[in-house]
Amino acid sequence: MIRIVGALAGREIIRFLRQPNRVAGSIGQPLLFWLFLGSGFSPTFDAPGLEGVTYMQYFLPGVLMMLMLFASIFSSITIIEDRDQGFLQGVLVAPVPRVAIVLGKVGGGAALAVGQSLILLVAAPFVGLVPGWGGLALILGAFVLSALGFTTLGFAVAWGMRSTSGFHAVMMVFLMPLWLLSGALFPVATAPGWLYALMIVNPVTHALRLVRLPFHMTPGELAADPAYLAALAVTAAWLAVCLGLSVWRVRRVETGVAPHRAPA
Amino acid sequence: MITLQGLTHVYPGHRKTPPHAAVRDLSLHVPAGEFCVLTGPNGSGKSTLFRILCGTLTPSAGRVEIAGADLFRQPDAARRALGVVFQSPAVDKQLSVRENLRLHATLYGLGRGTLAARLGEALEWSDLEGRLDQRVDTLSGGLARQVELAKCLLTRPRLLLLDEPTTGLDPASRMRFLKALHTLQRQRDMTVLMTSHIFAEAEAADRVAVMMGGHLLALDSPGALRDRVGREMLVVEAEAPDHLHAALAESLGRVVTRHGDELRLEGLGRGDGLALLEQVLAEHRDAVRSVAIRRPDLEDVFVHITGRDPGDAAGPAAEAAEVPS
Ligand SMILES: Nc1ncnc2c1ncn2[C@@H]1O[C@H](COP(=O)(O)OP(=O)(O)OP(=O)(O)O)[C@@H](O)[C@H]1O
Ligand SMILES: [Mg+2]
Repeated sequence: MIRIVGALAGREIIRFLRQPNRVAGSIGQPLLFWLFLGSGFSPTFDAPGLEGVTYMQYFLPGVLMMLMLFASIFSSITIIEDRDQGFLQGVLVAPVPRVAIVLGKVGGGAALAVGQSLILLVAAPFVGLVPGWGGLALILGAFVLSALGFTTLGFAVAWGMRSTSGFHAVMMVFLMPLWLLSGALFPVATAPGWLYALMIVNPVTHALRLVRLPFHMTPGELAADPAYLAALAVTAAWLAVCLGLSVWRVRRVETGVAPHRAPA
Repeated sequence: MITLQGLTHVYPGHRKTPPHAAVRDLSLHVPAGEFCVLTGPNGSGKSTLFRILCGTLTPSAGRVEIAGADLFRQPDAARRALGVVFQSPAVDKQLSVRENLRLHATLYGLGRGTLAARLGEALEWSDLEGRLDQRVDTLSGGLARQVELAKCLLTRPRLLLLDEPTTGLDPASRMRFLKALHTLQRQRDMTVLMTSHIFAEAEAADRVAVMMGGHLLALDSPGALRDRVGREMLVVEAEAPDHLHAALAESLGRVVTRHGDELRLEGLGRGDGLALLEQVLAEHRDAVRSVAIRRPDLEDVFVHITGRDPGDAAGPAAEAAEVPS
């Protein structure tokens, strides 16, 4: 089981590294986003509870979330081509537990997302975000959790889709808004009522908190912060639900309809 | 090894397309150790049957037993016995040949030692030696297909399902692959079910199944199938086929079938062809462009059974394949 998950995850990573354009794009795009948007907005930015934080500092966790979202989309989109006409056909008829198929795909995609996030994290000290060692460990944990959350979400959405254009549509009307309404660009607290409600039920908001708060608070403070603990619970629940959904979808086999229309 | 009983599969329809019955009440038994070739016109339901056998499609009705296990109740037992080559490629193009084989071996729980030991037998027939570290997307289409075939030989399946495995292979590598397949099949007492449109491949099979419109039309040894068309047949090429068709039928008092521009007298006993040929020439010399006595091959059998001839796309088969609502 572990060998199978490892082999399938390894395949994702090898494929990624063999596409230099993808490697450059996946880091370059969020970096540019961050630099341009971050410098364009006013540097004096006061979010409630985060006084003295510049927009460059505020936006970095948001950009990390965007990176994970795109990494997950890239990893999921291959499912659509692979499943009916490609590599996954062979995996599906192999005597492997269906959970291993999900974990392999998702594990590989999440590992890539975490790797890319760590590279981007190197930029943090340059804008004055210097977490302690404990904070760094918590941030790494948040990376793993949210990367897995995003890739399982992508997996659950992409599995069963027949065309990549359909997936693009879902991405634009469903996945992108999840990011936009996560507090990545503007704080949740200052949003108008209806938007606030949407943002607070959005799991990405909570995953983002897991990444953002350790930059500004010590592990001790976080352990006593109900918002942080709630975020941890919500993100974990998000991951569990999507994982369950993915496994359920992989287990489901396309079935013929009742033969009442078949000829005598 | 495979037992199918009353298998029916109806694809659900969508807004514009009505439900489509791709397999209809099909029963089939393939005993262990048999090499069975499945053939039939495009869209006759062969790939659908394969997807059912692989467990990636649940049929509307019917029972499937593979290696003694009920496919729907104990899918894992069936999967372990199974090796599959799909009609569309299932190798990862961005990985090298060796990486593909290694990944496949891992999925089937083979260790590195076993993989190394079996690499030889899986590859000896192929042209892949010396190209193991090349990425699959840099191989030609036929060589990529060979990777696929090598992959499935690696796991030594008890039952091998191949859906048009040799499409894209040149005649030499096709023959080498089939030879390797037959040898391995005999050595390991492997059961093989393979679809093919190439009748030369069916000649070497133990039995040939012909499907059309989701039904099993025939299942027999190549020899017995040939006998259905008779030992010999007379093929007449005419200047004006319509005219000669009627004339021949009348003067010979036999059934004359027309396939494109060819007229055929099928179902002749051994040696009958010559006398008939003389008679045709004596009575219709001027209307005949050429005449030949042929031993029917499986292609003729296919044409005979399915009523489909190459020159006439909308034969009776096309109508039979419609689903009456
Ligand atoms: N996913 C699907 N949904 C609806 N109908 C389908 C689907 N797949 C196949 N069919 C229909 O079922 C019938 C049988 O298709 P199948 O692919 O089994 O044919 P085949 O015998 O393998 O043909 P070929 O020789 O071209 O490979 C066809 O009429 C096809 O249009
Ligand atoms: Mg087919």
